[in-house]
Amino acid sequence: MRRVPWFYRVLLHAFPADARREVGHDMGAMFTRQLQEAHAHRFGAAKLWLRASVDAIVNGIGERFNRPRRVQGHGAGVKRWRWWMHAFVQDVRYALRVMARQPGVTLVAVVTLALGIGANTAIFSAVNAILLRPLPYDDPHRVMMVWEKRQAEGVNDNVVSPADFLDWARMNTTFESMAAMTSTAVDLTGNGEPVRLSTALVSPPFFDVLRIRPQLGRFFRSDEAIAGKPRVVVLSHQAWTSRFGSDPNIVGRSLTLNGTAVEVIGVLPASFEFPDDSLDLWAPLALEGTPQPPTRTSHQLTVFARLKPGVTLEQARADMERVGQTLQQQYPEANRNHSAWVIPLEDRLKTPVRSSLLMLLGAVAFVLLIACVNVANVLLAKAAGRRREMAVRSAVGAGRARLAGQMLTESLVLAIFGGAAGVAVAWWGIAAMKQLIPDSVPVVGLSHLRLEPRVLAFTAAVSVATGLLFGMLPAWQLAGQDVNASLKDGGRSPGGVRRRLRVALVVSEIALASLLLVAAGLTLRSFQAVLNQPAGFRIDKSLTVTVLLPGARYKTQAAFLNAFESLEERFASLPGVRLVGATSHLPLSTRDSRQGVTVEGRDPVPDSPTRAHPRMVTPNYFKAMGITVIAGRGFAPADGPESPRVAIVNETMAKRYWPNASPIGKRVKFNGNGEEWMEVVGVIADVKHWGLEAPVNPELYRPLRQAFSPLMTFVVNTEGDGAQLAAAAREQVRAVDPNLPLSRMQTVADVAAASVATRRAGMLLTAAFGVLALVLAAAGIHGVMSHLVALRTAEIGVRMTLGASPTRMMAHILQEGAVQATIGLAIGLTGGVLLMHAFRTILFGVEPADPFTLIAVAAGLFITALAACAIPARRAMRVDPVTALRAM
Amino acid sequence: MARHAVIPAIPPHWFQILLALADQDRHGLGIMNDVLERTDGSMKLWPGMLYRNLSKLVDAGLVTEVDAPPGAETGGGRPRFYRITALGRRACAAEAERLAGFVEAARRKKLLKA
Repeated sequence: MRRVPWFYRVLLHAFPADARREVGHDMGAMFTRQLQEAHAHRFGAAKLWLRASVDAIVNGIGERFNRPRRVQGHGAGVKRWRWWMHAFVQDVRYALRVMARQPGVTLVAVVTLALGIGANTAIFSAVNAILLRPLPYDDPHRVMMVWEKRQAEGVNDNVVSPADFLDWARMNTTFESMAAMTSTAVDLTGNGEPVRLSTALVSPPFFDVLRIRPQLGRFFRSDEAIAGKPRVVVLSHQAWTSRFGSDPNIVGRSLTLNGTAVEVIGVLPASFEFPDDSLDLWAPLALEGTPQPPTRTSHQLTVFARLKPGVTLEQARADMERVGQTLQQQYPEANRNHSAWVIPLEDRLKTPVRSSLLMLLGAVAFVLLIACVNVANVLLAKAAGRRREMAVRSAVGAGRARLAGQMLTESLVLAIFGGAAGVAVAWWGIAAMKQLIPDSVPVVGLSHLRLEPRVLAFTAAVSVATGLLFGMLPAWQLAGQDVNASLKDGGRSPGGVRRRLRVALVVSEIALASLLLVAAGLTLRSFQAVLNQPAGFRIDKSLTVTVLLPGARYKTQAAFLNAFESLEERFASLPGVRLVGATSHLPLSTRDSRQGVTVEGRDPVPDSPTRAHPRMVTPNYFKAMGITVIAGRGFAPADGPESPRVAIVNETMAKRYWPNASPIGKRVKFNGNGEEWMEVVGVIADVKHWGLEAPVNPELYRPLRQAFSPLMTFVVNTEGDGAQLAAAAREQVRAVDPNLPLSRMQTVADVAAASVATRRAGMLLTAAFGVLALVLAAAGIHGVMSHLVALRTAEIGVRMTLGASPTRMMAHILQEGAVQATIGLAIGLTGGVLLMHAFRTILFGVEPADPFTLIAVAAGLFITALAACAIPARRAMRVDPVTALRAM
Repeated sequence: MARHAVIPAIPPHWFQILLALADQDRHGLGIMNDVLERTDGSMKLWPGMLYRNLSKLVDAGLVTEVDAPPGAETGGGRPRFYRITALGRRACAAEAERLAGFVEAARRKKLLKA
């Protein structure tokens, strides 16, 4: 028989202990059987769970009340417990009746709480999925990344050269395994349509570092990572299921990758996750046995390592520092000022989003506080009407604790309803959040965003805390009142304490809302500032088509060039196309490379190596992308293989390497054997390659005809929406080479949007919470002011009878509102600026004390607060003085 | 009709539980299956409800607990077996008669075929 699910065993605790001992086992067996049948008939296990839970709880609690009557001989402890339980149940029933009697009030309170709790649940689910969830590896805290540290440049996450990696792996004493990884793409043919598969090249210990076991077959042996050995691959689970129909005999099968036969030796398990989950294939990285010895100057590897048991992060850092120093002494040329930096993989992955998420969590907490204040206020208003009822109950013997307990129970029941509705809000919110981030933007753990038990536990805790928080005030107020006074005046007198409390509520609502709006305003302004950054190229609907030609079939440079040029011609001939250019490195696309360069006549500056990011482009690229040539000329078709070597630099490079002169006519060359001098013929305006908000580095452009790149991205500049050309462009690719896989096509605008997607998501969420806070606060202030004005109806009546003009009365009430708003704003704006100061890393191009934001928030809230006062005040003005006086 | 005053009408699920025990002693799972089968799945007894009602039936003296018969399919633990008492039989029979009376009435009114 199957085991009784643990959750059901927990549920059985609703029954008294003796009943559980007697029949708990049988009930478990019965439920397990029902569950089996439910699964077998697809009857819906969820429905069964729900029914069985209700059944266990209702009957369990019922049994608790029946049982002691039958079982004799229990001590005073049980009686006391039973009394409390009984009182609690009574209070819950009473609370439900009170709620049912005032459906309007209940609805408003539940909706308010649902919004607050729902927003918190949704954001917590993101915190849970992204920050709290451990990486799915065995002992994940011991998995480290090791980067090259360059003190002089202040960089400690540079990719590593193959020779350095091999030395690190050999010389370190603190890691049990160390592996390097780089990624590439290969073309799979002979298995249906040709496809491009993104491929990770890893050194064999990689899967030991992560402690992953294959689902099928095996992983790489160390002798398979030697160049020239028979080629083998491991498939990702996704590739295995989607491309090979989960073929159980896949191991041993031969695939054609880039035109070469490769044997499948294993399949990764479905549970395997890697930050970049788009990887289809894993192949061994050959660092040894290559024709040339491993290089120390070309950097391309990411290094992962697992700490030996008992080794701390600090020890590993000291160890790698020692290794780095040794290598510096051995290779003073290549490794000058280079060392190694160890960082836990988790930190590396989670740090970028941590501040944004924590700020959002703070923001929703404030939304919930505002919701609490609102509900507390509603309850206070209602409590005022119930003072007489409470006084009567107190007079007939209910103790203060009992009365306070009852009030608390009422707010708890309200909060639990709010929490339940909040789960629905959160469910919707999570779906909306997932929409905010496009699939092309990898965010660690995003796929785990869901309402899981931990999130629901958080919701439950937040609901209870909320209920206690907003229930405290009315409970304390009511239980503390003077019984005789209340009985005498019938529960009508406002009382000074109550008034001050109300004013405090208004002030705190304004403070909380302004604090949130400052945060929302600043993130909005940051986003705006990012979007206003000149990109250096035209962000429009031009279609980008990336094509990679496999080296196995394209043997000569001329073959590559012919294919690319005929593609460019074919794209240009499509209807509606204005201009087509191509580049090896599309801006904002995360593709990049960097090389050391020599600038003629410039002495090397110690500790500041001369480097540039090479880009190969076709003559029309600058025009097609709308990149401005600010000096000299662009490339021409005449810059061919036989003509003098030419180059174009970006403005940053021009200013950095030729600080006091024009670079035009100067010469530059890449470091390395066989590199030729190039004459700089032009300077282009800076292009944001690394993100709209990231600084620009030196870029060196070369004509494709004089250089080489197997991968080119075509920019097809069209009259209309370039995306509509995708199918036609695909046809042209197929016409040039039917075996080329379909490549990704995006418009330039999509590429740019993806680069700001996470910031946009953060901005939209903060703005949404700001608006929610504003609406809740407005409703809350209106509620409080209505009540305060209503309490003063008599006073207003007297004053108006004595000759005060309605205008003066109105001014009087508004003046009070204005004072409260000003105090609230002063607190909130200061708090907002201080808070955003703490989170200033997520701001861009705006100071925490941005005057525009502060003035806008202050003005907006001030007007909102006055409007919320004016509405009830106007109502009071229209009251007939006689009626008002009678109310006394 | 006088007998009905002595033995009050019993709720439908009590009737079904007693009916399940009328021919043999059963444990909870057995009762559940028997009732489910007899009512074509329309009366589903939930564990909490069944055991709470069994304890009420025991209190009311309609059912007693008995030792498990040797060789009973135990599934790991010792299931509790229940046996109908004489009073239980009378209550069950009275309820059956009462229901039969209604069936007869329905038949007279041509709601049912004879």
